[in-house]
Amino acid sequence: MTQTLEAAADEQADRTGPPNPAPRVRRWARLEFDNWALLLLPLLGFLTLVFVIPLLLLLSKSFTDPAVGLANYSDILTNPLYLKVLRNTFVTAITVTLVTVVIAFPFAYLMTLATPFWRGVMMIAVLIPFWTSLLVRSFALVLLLRDTGVINTVLDSVGVIDEPIPMLRHLSGVMFGMVQITLPFAVLPLYATMRTIDRRLLLAAESLGARPSVAFWKVFVPLTIPGVFAGLILVFIQALGYYITPALLGGPQNTMIGQLIVEQVSTVLKFGFAAALAVVLLGSTLILLAIASRFVDMKKYLMGSK
Amino acid sequence: MSTAHRRTRLATGLTLVAAAVAACGSSAGDPSKTLEVTMWGGSAQRAHVDTYIKPWAEANGLTVSEDSPTDYAKIKAQVDSKNVTWGVTEVEPNFSETACASGVLTKLTPEVKQAATDAGINPGYINDCAIPNLSYAFTIAYNTDTFADNHPKTWAEFFDTQLFPGKRGFWKYATGGMFEAALLADGVPADQLYPLDLDRAFRKLDTIKQDIVFYETGDEQAQLVASGEAPLVQAWNGRIYHAAKEGQPVANEWGQNLVSYDQVVIPAGYPNTDLAMKWMTAFVGDVQGQAADAEASAYDPINPKAMELVDPEVAKELATFPANQAQAATTMNYKYWAENYNTATERLNAWALS
Repeated sequence: MTQTLEAAADEQADRTGPPNPAPRVRRWARLEFDNWALLLLPLLGFLTLVFVIPLLLLLSKSFTDPAVGLANYSDILTNPLYLKVLRNTFVTAITVTLVTVVIAFPFAYLMTLATPFWRGVMMIAVLIPFWTSLLVRSFALVLLLRDTGVINTVLDSVGVIDEPIPMLRHLSGVMFGMVQITLPFAVLPLYATMRTIDRRLLLAAESLGARPSVAFWKVFVPLTIPGVFAGLILVFIQALGYYITPALLGGPQNTMIGQLIVEQVSTVLKFGFAAALAVVLLGSTLILLAIASRFVDMKKYLMGSK
Repeated sequence: MSTAHRRTRLATGLTLVAAAVAACGSSAGDPSKTLEVTMWGGSAQRAHVDTYIKPWAEANGLTVSEDSPTDYAKIKAQVDSKNVTWGVTEVEPNFSETACASGVLTKLTPEVKQAATDAGINPGYINDCAIPNLSYAFTIAYNTDTFADNHPKTWAEFFDTQLFPGKRGFWKYATGGMFEAALLADGVPADQLYPLDLDRAFRKLDTIKQDIVFYETGDEQAQLVASGEAPLVQAWNGRIYHAAKEGQPVANEWGQNLVSYDQVVIPAGYPNTDLAMKWMTAFVGDVQGQAADAEASAYDPINPKAMELVDPEVAKELATFPANQAQAATTMNYKYWAENYNTATERLNAWALS
């Protein structure tokens, strides 16, 4: 109640007061009690119902099923199999993230330079796969990548290779599939960031004597960093949870934790253990993000700078 | 598609699955006159439901609603939340054994057991909660282009990469017949296979590890051998027969085949258990329905008399055809698998990962 009054007073101050910015605390208070914020309530209710509550249930299951205690977690930490899968998951996700962003950067850059027609074509090239089912794309890649698939058959018939290049059921197949799927998540934020960069800054740098490459690296690239981080984080977090793509395109050596969770639930019926694996995945993701946020201002990159 | 969403899906899946299934399970008509059927899906389920479930249901004024595929996690979640919507459910025998013992499945009534005995059904295929609905075999499937003149006829030859070069496909599944095949290849007599010597099986598998390709689904299985990517695959006879009929260069070798079977069960607490039991009682003696199913699905009927009614062209492709049965090494021992499934699965995963 008092806060509502405060907000009202705040509004009052806005109308009558001088145009200097309100103190920081006040701005936050007003932000919370803006009437528009009520629109968030249905969303919050929905999130509580379908995300927070299940997450809490999952957490409690990991400590109580099949018996109360830490057995599920000690199983994970003492079994080299699960630690290996966990390591695989992070190594794959990190590699996929780096490759994706390295490919997406020049693509997004070219989009900012292209004529409207070619920009449209490039945008469609990114979006059409984005709108196509992940399962369909993964199956299509099976036909391309297998030993008797399109790529190996073509390379063999033109005499480039004698033995088929192993791609399917191999890390390279998983990388191929995952990068292809995560690419839009890096291209779109990168393009959004690059589009807003004032190109006259480059001209200014060049007029002050910088070579174009120096202007690019010292002026343009630093300004793209918010987009790069947005892309890195979006891609990395979703890459951690993949299971269909590595299951279809990878071999057993490329097992990721998502597959392990599915198997624990649906074939061995160890719900509690699967819950513990999910909690470990979530926890280690959060820890990693926390570490990253010590080095970069997450809020700035994820929510936009104010 | 974020991990958060996936995790939500998993969690809600565990808690809300019963509600979701309830919403789509019983759509048609009076719920007390509907029999819910869940099987592995695809053309096989189509064949089973059309030949031996729908005709019986219609004759008794019932409707049938279907779901697929069977998912053991969903069965457990339904029973745990006391909101069971799956009635007749097709499962693997090791699951029926463990789930029966833990109270997840309904025990068969004496009428069903009596009817199964009267029908002459193999008593080894029946337990307290399950009757069989079909049988099949793990065979050596081979690509007829790659091995036009000579192909492996025993598991020892299947493991011989010198004599028969190329990749070998196995189902990545502990009860998928891989350990049995490895031990037979290593010279263990068929009647001494169980309990399986897993150490010895893994040592044998080690010898061809570089040439092993794992598949997870029946489609992958047929595709591997038909495309020649893995010209040899340990396969389900029905899949290969269908692929061959569609003109793919594949065939079944019946030497040392491993006989297996599926069962139908009723999850504990299913509201129309009496209807499901009545269907089971009728099914075991339904020779016409079973024969029609065998012709449509290429899986074996479980009533021996039904075999006589099957079109001879199809019959010779079935596991219980005398010439094929004579070559069988053994029947999969699902009592063993009920006890050892989890440990073997874990070892298999660790072995495949390393």
